[in-house]
Amino acid sequence: MLDPQTVKQWKRFRSIKRGYWSAIVLLVLLGISMIAELLVNNRALIVSYEGKWHFPTYAGVIPGSVFGLDYDYETNYRDLQQKFKEESEGNWVLMPLVPYNAFENDLRTDKFPPYPPSLESKHYLGTDSTGRDIVARLLYGFRIAMGFALVLLVCSYAAGILVGCAMGYWGGIFDLLFQRLIEIWNTVPFLYVIMIVASVVVPSFWTLVTVMVIFGWTTMTWNMRTSTYKEKAREYVNAARALGAGNSRVIGIHILPNTISVIVTFIPFSIASGVASLTALDYLGFGLPPPTPSWGELLSQGTDHLESGWIVISVLVAIVSVLLMVTYIGEAIREAFDPKKFTYYE
Amino acid sequence: MTTYFIRRFLLIIPTFIGVTILVFTLTRLVPGGPIERMLNEAALAGAEGTTSMSSDYAGSGGSTLSDEQLEVLRKYYGFDKPIIVSYGQWLSRVIVLDLGTSTRYTEPVWDIIRSRLPISLFYGVTTLILTYGICIPLGIVKAIKHKTAFDNVSSALVFLGYAIPSYVVAIGLLTTFAAHFEWFPLSGFVSDDFDQRSTLGKVSDVFHHATLPLIAYVAGSFAFTTMLMKNSLMDNLAADYVRTAIAKGLHFRSAIFRHALRNSLIPIATSFGGNITLILTGSFLIEKIFNIDGFGLLGFESLVERDYPVVMGILVISSLLFVIGNILSDICVAIVDPRVKFGADGSNQ
Repeated sequence: MLDPQTVKQWKRFRSIKRGYWSAIVLLVLLGISMIAELLVNNRALIVSYEGKWHFPTYAGVIPGSVFGLDYDYETNYRDLQQKFKEESEGNWVLMPLVPYNAFENDLRTDKFPPYPPSLESKHYLGTDSTGRDIVARLLYGFRIAMGFALVLLVCSYAAGILVGCAMGYWGGIFDLLFQRLIEIWNTVPFLYVIMIVASVVVPSFWTLVTVMVIFGWTTMTWNMRTSTYKEKAREYVNAARALGAGNSRVIGIHILPNTISVIVTFIPFSIASGVASLTALDYLGFGLPPPTPSWGELLSQGTDHLESGWIVISVLVAIVSVLLMVTYIGEAIREAFDPKKFTYYE
Repeated sequence: MTTYFIRRFLLIIPTFIGVTILVFTLTRLVPGGPIERMLNEAALAGAEGTTSMSSDYAGSGGSTLSDEQLEVLRKYYGFDKPIIVSYGQWLSRVIVLDLGTSTRYTEPVWDIIRSRLPISLFYGVTTLILTYGICIPLGIVKAIKHKTAFDNVSSALVFLGYAIPSYVVAIGLLTTFAAHFEWFPLSGFVSDDFDQRSTLGKVSDVFHHATLPLIAYVAGSFAFTTMLMKNSLMDNLAADYVRTAIAKGLHFRSAIFRHALRNSLIPIATSFGGNITLILTGSFLIEKIFNIDGFGLLGFESLVERDYPVVMGILVISSLLFVIGNILSDICVAIVDPRVKFGADGSNQ
């Protein structure tokens, strides 16, 4: 069963409408991005050809010859849909909501990209400067950014909790040593380091995570150190020790659960900063390599093509609303865990 | 207290060595240093030369420098020695304030940095004045008028600044007010005809260019400082000593300004040191977005161009500033809060 404290915190969180609804919207968005292939993709959802149904979304490449086309590379389902419609022989294609994927350059003979938003061509937010659909880039970019922030969070928190607990619990030389190390570490301008690394190896998702964890573990470590230090001085720890509990039991069963509120309240802000720093790196061109869909890359395209306002506006709206929602959630969680009651004098 | 600060100042040395050795090693370990960059440029120039001239030279191809010349170059930049030796050499030059020569501009690093400093200094100082000039009064008013319409409306604005990183604010401002409405120039520090303008024209030109970047800079620290001010003042207003002051008949207003305000400035003083660093180093994201030729953009460009002497020079200055900023905020706290005794047991908490 949940303990009453947690139930109370959950109720308090739910009562903060702004944060609660932001959490729901964000979870729905995450859910949508998980099944993005079904909503925004250049592969058809269902192809009915000569009475047989095909589901190309998660299948391998289906060559055009399967559907009676004269080529062996992957079927162009948008053209196929057009063709079936013209033939009207009972074959049909069901395309996703946005029939483009994030990597596809929709090039035309009469115009140069970027194309403005248009309902007719189903580029609902237009295309970027190489003709890739912006909805697709945004949605897949959102999935990558959130995934990145979550992985970063788990890794750096794991390191931070481990080291921070040890520093606060044992103190002494170990604590002093790590204090100096953290001071040095914090002085290193870590964006510079990432840029140096990124200029050598083309950073993959995991190299970026590794570098960011190497330079991002200090914040959580510092917080955990302080709160472990505080908890350690309290009576219940002495009581547990007096009853014969060992170090690992005192830390794992007694101290950690009492510091959980520190950890939880920091989570949303870490996610926001993870997304923000990945976007900044991508904007500068030191993040994930192209053609990975990314908000930062769209931002830099937008600022390079200010005359095509739809690029920069759609990505700005996306960043601002996601970061706002994450921060709303963070605010609500913080208030749920630590409601500040003030008395005023008028 | 004095011993504490002396110890803090002495601790700068190991921190400084730690940071520089880390980045120095990193710049040595990565391939594609300045020599490779020059070779590339030479090869490019050579290739262009051969296509325009007769095809006699085409066969020779490849590197345009002989191995001996390469060796001389390596020696010149100190790449021929092990990392620790060349780090020692670099450090001994830094101690006598010689930051070396830029591989890109072939000018002394210090001269390059010095030429960029005034611009960053201008932005840093103005940002600092604006931040504290707006945030402290705003925080006070918000604390007094907690939960009124004014508080809620300004909270929304503060919240926006809190949630959105300043580079996104910068891009948003650039798109709206510079590109769309064309109220402000797109980039740069001053106009091209700056020298021909009158003194008043010069001042207005600088601020015309500076408005958008300054808003972006202030947005970065605005929310944090305002909320810090508001929350700490509210904490103090709820404290027993304010209750006592009011109970003995003191006016609410004087209770705030004579008692609560002074105590609630302590956390603000703590954050002061961190902002010192911002003054000089600036933010290279904002400088890049608005194309301001300051300290941050210099660091960014020299990283891209592998101009490691400049990178190291900037690192030296910014890390020194960072450590000094930390100490300064300790001093600020000690001035504002007479109870603080550093160096005593448990003071690190």
